[in-house]
Amino acid sequence: MCKKFYSKIDGLIFKKLFSKSKSYDIMYLPEFYSYGKADDMLTRALLEEVIARAMSTGADFAEIFFENTRYNMIDMIGGKVDSVTDNTITGVGIRALLGVKTVSASTVDLSRDGLLRCASQVADVIGDKPTICDIYLTERIHTDVHAVKRVPDTVRKSEKIDLLKAGCLAAKEYHNDISQVRAYFLDVDHNIMIANSDGLLCEDRQIRTRMGISAIASRGGENQDGMSSAGMRMGLELFDNVSPESIGKEAARQAMVNLGAGYCPAGKMTVAIENGFGGVIFHEACGHSLEATSVAKNTSQMAGKLGQKIANEKVTAIDDGTIPNAWGSINIDDEGNPSERKVLIENGVLKNYMIDKLNGRRMGMKENGSSRRQSFRYYPTSRMTNTFFLEGNDKNEDIISSIEYGLYAKKMGGGSVNPISGAFNFAVGEAYIIRNGKICEPVRGASLIGTGSEILQNIDMVGTNLECGQGMCGSSSGSIPVNVGQPLIRVSEITVGGR
Amino acid sequence: MEKFDILKKIVKECSEKRGIAEYELYYSESSGISADTFRDEISSFSSSVNGSLLYRCIVDGKAGYASTSSLDESETELLVSRAAENAAISEDDGDVIIFGGASPEDYRQIPKCDFTMPSAAVIRERVMKNRELLYSSDSQIAGDKIADGSAANVYASQGRTFLFNSNGLDLSSSSGNCGESFRVVLDNGEEKKTGGERIYNSFDKPDDVRVEKIGKAVKEARDKFGAGSVKTGKYNIIFKNETMEEILDTFCPVFYAEKAQKGLSLLKGKVGEKIASDCITVTDDPFAEDNTVQAAFDGEGVPTRCKNVIEKGVLKTLLYNLSSAKKDGVETTGNASRGEASIGTRVYTFFINKGDMTRDKLLEAAGSGIYVTGMKGFHAGANPVTGDFSIESEGFIIEDGKIGRPVKSFTVAGNFFELLKQIAAVDDELDFGGPGSMRICSPDVLVYDMPVAGE
Repeated sequence: MCKKFYSKIDGLIFKKLFSKSKSYDIMYLPEFYSYGKADDMLTRALLEEVIARAMSTGADFAEIFFENTRYNMIDMIGGKVDSVTDNTITGVGIRALLGVKTVSASTVDLSRDGLLRCASQVADVIGDKPTICDIYLTERIHTDVHAVKRVPDTVRKSEKIDLLKAGCLAAKEYHNDISQVRAYFLDVDHNIMIANSDGLLCEDRQIRTRMGISAIASRGGENQDGMSSAGMRMGLELFDNVSPESIGKEAARQAMVNLGAGYCPAGKMTVAIENGFGGVIFHEACGHSLEATSVAKNTSQMAGKLGQKIANEKVTAIDDGTIPNAWGSINIDDEGNPSERKVLIENGVLKNYMIDKLNGRRMGMKENGSSRRQSFRYYPTSRMTNTFFLEGNDKNEDIISSIEYGLYAKKMGGGSVNPISGAFNFAVGEAYIIRNGKICEPVRGASLIGTGSEILQNIDMVGTNLECGQGMCGSSSGSIPVNVGQPLIRVSEITVGGR
Repeated sequence: MEKFDILKKIVKECSEKRGIAEYELYYSESSGISADTFRDEISSFSSSVNGSLLYRCIVDGKAGYASTSSLDESETELLVSRAAENAAISEDDGDVIIFGGASPEDYRQIPKCDFTMPSAAVIRERVMKNRELLYSSDSQIAGDKIADGSAANVYASQGRTFLFNSNGLDLSSSSGNCGESFRVVLDNGEEKKTGGERIYNSFDKPDDVRVEKIGKAVKEARDKFGAGSVKTGKYNIIFKNETMEEILDTFCPVFYAEKAQKGLSLLKGKVGEKIASDCITVTDDPFAEDNTVQAAFDGEGVPTRCKNVIEKGVLKTLLYNLSSAKKDGVETTGNASRGEASIGTRVYTFFINKGDMTRDKLLEAAGSGIYVTGMKGFHAGANPVTGDFSIESEGFIIEDGKIGRPVKSFTVAGNFFELLKQIAAVDDELDFGGPGSMRICSPDVLVYDMPVAGE
């Protein structure tokens, strides 16, 4: 099976070799074959030996996470290619558990000696009771629900550059005041394999494609910017549905709105937050506090509140890693568990957490497909996938017309949270003042701050236009792709930072 | 033969075989150990062995880059062909340079790294001892409980960097350091507050040092209890050193010439102009005396040097690498960073010089206002292109020139470029913290009339 795992990657590179035979010399082939020397191969027998070594001092669980990732990124500035990132990430992370104690090690040395040395380091720290384990790995195959029509690592870079240029041009031509356009094209081919002492052996291939454009508008020595992006767990067919031009225009439109805007006034206000990336509010205000990472250690404001009413009854929140081709979806999590759809909050009542194996042990609860890590260099913990508020019954126009004076946050920026206190903050990328139920002049530089428990109670209207936006979420196990989403919502009162 | 010597040989052969005359190989390897505690035991312990190989070449006047974490020899060959392929699609303006070399005396002799990596057993023992110190601290006496989430952390890491290029440059450096940190979560029955402290290269120091640090962390957490709100309005603000450092860290790229050349910095064309108030002098120093991690060469192999970026409010220079210097027709300042896909710009120890006013005098000068001790969310709430920021903050009220009650949940908004001009005074304490390859430091600074959003 592991041979297959390698041959899959081999196949990938082979395709490149043949499709670009002009830039590759055929002489590289024989050497390439030597890459898979028998004793360097991650054979099943070697995996079993390494797991047994990690368990050799009394651990009750051990796991190997193998990764081979191709990472391509093209950056463009002013319509010209600025840099091309072409990176290969290969390595192994080994982890052992003994009760709720965890020891992990990672290495880029994939030789038999390197792997056994890495496993020994884990064994040396986790316990001191000599133990002989008989590990027998049985392979499990998961269904891949994320069709990829055109694998991006095997598409000519010139094609990606053309798409990027089209997006940049659309942004630049949007208005004379657009002074600079930056853009990136990112594609990741993330191959993982997980083997553990329960005998599990499985793998997944996670392919993602994303384009982002940021436009700067300048007038009279002042800069304002706007950004827009689209990303899916698919290949180049992403652009069959989303045109690069629409991404570029949206970034430029936002920059122009901000260039004409005055500063946002500060104080407590009623705020309507638009759909899509607006869902970052749930992600920061509440999502992180529902990760077992902080719940298990009792360092979350949401710890011990299962079954309690923590939000307005209009609020139902979901974490769903199973949505086909969604940016944050996974077939299996990084412990090899199938991805799940979890109802986190139902009509205001806390129903579930995101749980990984280690923290599940602390909480006495079962893991639910939520364990994630950026790469072999991190050890996995519970994280979000695609997290969103479900649609409600309020008409969008009613939400706006209900606000006498407040803020309409049309585009959100990023944010952060302290799970202990639940205090969060985030930036608003595009905002307008609402006066007498009407959206009025744009304002810039706004931020929203508050605590999760407070805002969940204050969401008193939920609209009908659910949509998701893409982001990268950074936490203890690294930076991972997640979707955030919601329909238009009304928050009755929140502190707006401005000047 | 050392691994790097083998890699050099392969890269040289592969490059020559493909007719590539100009290339550079940058190799870094590192290893690290880290241990954390939860309640009465080690909750996590991790060790890592990392390596990365970065290659770039110039083909037909254009640069191509490729990188890998795999040190497999056949992977090294692929690296060369991938970079050559990427050079073919590059649209750089031919300003990329493989450094021609300098004479050995141009490189500063830096203190030799004599760090030896502690064993896993030493780390384990240290972290458990620290956990004990943490939980036996006198905070319990005051009736506050040291709550879950409190933790001791101990880490050690070491690394080596090698740079080899087709012009015969062959450089290496090594560094290593270890440290301990304490995180205190205090629970007074009503709310939980956190405090934290660190010490560096400290394994041989006596426990008094740790006890003192834990005491500081406990005090930091306790002082936050009962924090109230502030009314929206304009306030005199003193940014505590750590918060000013975060601001400077966020906006540091505006001093990079490459950003200005790309229209991403408002400091474009401002060299020689007054951009800050008289009390501001900003220095970038690769050889800060207290630092055990010094840099004799930058990411392109160019010798580094110390320079003032702002002198008494006047912008003296932007920060350059070879390519951005060529574009502006100046000498590089030796500030190149080596990224996976480009040569960027970096700083070393980048700091606002201290003034001559004591902290008490600074508080007196503020009269009434807010002493801002914590700010978070810079990645979202601050924009280096525009200079705008609006950041969630916490701190203490300043009344009659003295620190008063704690306050939280307010934002401080401003614009970095305006802020530089608005700084009225800086105090006379500059703490560089521990060793590090990149450090951003500042004394406390006073700014009048900043907009604050609260109740």
